[in-house]
Amino acid sequence: MNGPVTFDELASLMKGRAGLSVDPGEMEKRPEATFEEFNLDSLGLLGIVSELENRYGRQIGDEADSCKTPHSFLQSVNAQLTLGA
Amino acid sequence: MKRTSPDRSTTGRQTVVTGLGVIAPNGVGTDAFWKAVQQGVSVLGPVTREGCTELPLRVAGEVAGFDPALLVEGRYLVQTDRFTHFAMAAADLALGDAQLEHDPQSPFAIGVVTAAGSGGGEFGQGELQQLWGQGPHFVGPYQSIAWFYAASTGQISIRGGFQGPCGVLANDEAGGLDAFGHACRTIRRGTDAVVVGATEAPLAPYSVVCQLGYPELSLATDPHRAYLPFTDDACGFSPAEGGAMFVVEEESAARRRGAPVRAVVAGHAATFTGTAGWEHSRPGLARAIQGALDEAGCSAEDIDVVFADALGVPAADQAEALAIADALGPHAANVPVTAPKTGFGRAYSAASALDVATAVLALEHGVVPPTPNITEVRHDLDLVTGEARATELRTALVLSRGLMGCNSALVLRRVPDDRR
Repeated sequence: MNGPVTFDELASLMKGRAGLSVDPGEMEKRPEATFEEFNLDSLGLLGIVSELENRYGRQIGDEADSCKTPHSFLQSVNAQLTLGA
Repeated sequence: MKRTSPDRSTTGRQTVVTGLGVIAPNGVGTDAFWKAVQQGVSVLGPVTREGCTELPLRVAGEVAGFDPALLVEGRYLVQTDRFTHFAMAAADLALGDAQLEHDPQSPFAIGVVTAAGSGGGEFGQGELQQLWGQGPHFVGPYQSIAWFYAASTGQISIRGGFQGPCGVLANDEAGGLDAFGHACRTIRRGTDAVVVGATEAPLAPYSVVCQLGYPELSLATDPHRAYLPFTDDACGFSPAEGGAMFVVEEESAARRRGAPVRAVVAGHAATFTGTAGWEHSRPGLARAIQGALDEAGCSAEDIDVVFADALGVPAADQAEALAIADALGPHAANVPVTAPKTGFGRAYSAASALDVATAVLALEHGVVPPTPNITEVRHDLDLVTGEARATELRTALVLSRGLMGCNSALVLRRVPDDRR
């Protein structure tokens, strides 16, 4: 059972891996909002990528690591998870 | 003692203490801490931390009543170790006490200096268990910063927006005093304020196992008999967690903003005498005391109270008593000496930071707090035991030695009432 990863799942990962309380609806509503605005640093994003890779049992790769916004991140992650699923 | 940095007399920039923040086994917050210290309350007790109760260390000073979730934001709880939770919470208390606020127009005006001995052992252990239990892919990236000695300085700086000179001292127990020396040099070089101090969280399984290698660690089981420096029953020291953070400022900057000046950081000096035997700390500590007195422009007779290192190992206690006598001469037999830490344990580099907090409070109140659990003293020292002693105090000497051979001395002076 692969992705797609939802904003809800991303918000719960941001809570669990980086201790941030973020409203998933807020992330979804604002495509231009950056991780930085939600206080997620690059280490936090790295932890989320690792967790998703462990969860879905496959590599997600470097592109996701360098995404600046939740929207571009989910797009990248879900594209890779559905690829050849 | 040769000093390479410009001293106070050439720059005219005097460092003063304007804020205190204490998180200790005997009290969270300065008021609770001072009340317990003054009453000589002993809070040493059984080690209760998960994973530690089957280890040979039986007695320690655990910080109770500290809920990090109430004092530190969620992101820092997840991203940092307990020692950094202590540091951030204590720094907040100190900044609140000093009423010092970050000015976004002058981000470089405030620096941060901490000392750390054991780093983030609990956090590090959790991630290493992930590594060996599940594999490298299960180690969180915050491991890279959370267990590092520098974590507290970095996180306090980031959280408060303090972009002035920052530093970390990882040099033994004495680092808690050397941090003040470093903060004074930072202020002489032009920074107006420094958030300074030390916190430790060594009561976690991995960290406790590391400490079991110290022959000086007390493995005694009775909390009232485990840490008895300067007595015939001395059997080592009981460790503790917690610590103290301070705001120190350049005196005229503090006065310009109307901050209450709580004490003057008058002199500091440090030496190193290695690990070949505690008797070697005698000349090293004596030299550090002399250096601190010289910098403070004090004579031995000016010292009104000594906060002892009080390791609790006979050879080390003997060396300390002799060092005090060597440096203070005949005055050594008359000056009140105290070691309040026998009531709550020795928190490594944070032990001396807590002694600085006690010294500032003692100077303000004119009270020498007692050395809990101690009755018969075997050395020629006027160790204050039993009850606190009320007496006029102008100048305090704080001493610290590290298990790896660092010796340090700090002189603090009370601000005359009409100049506060």
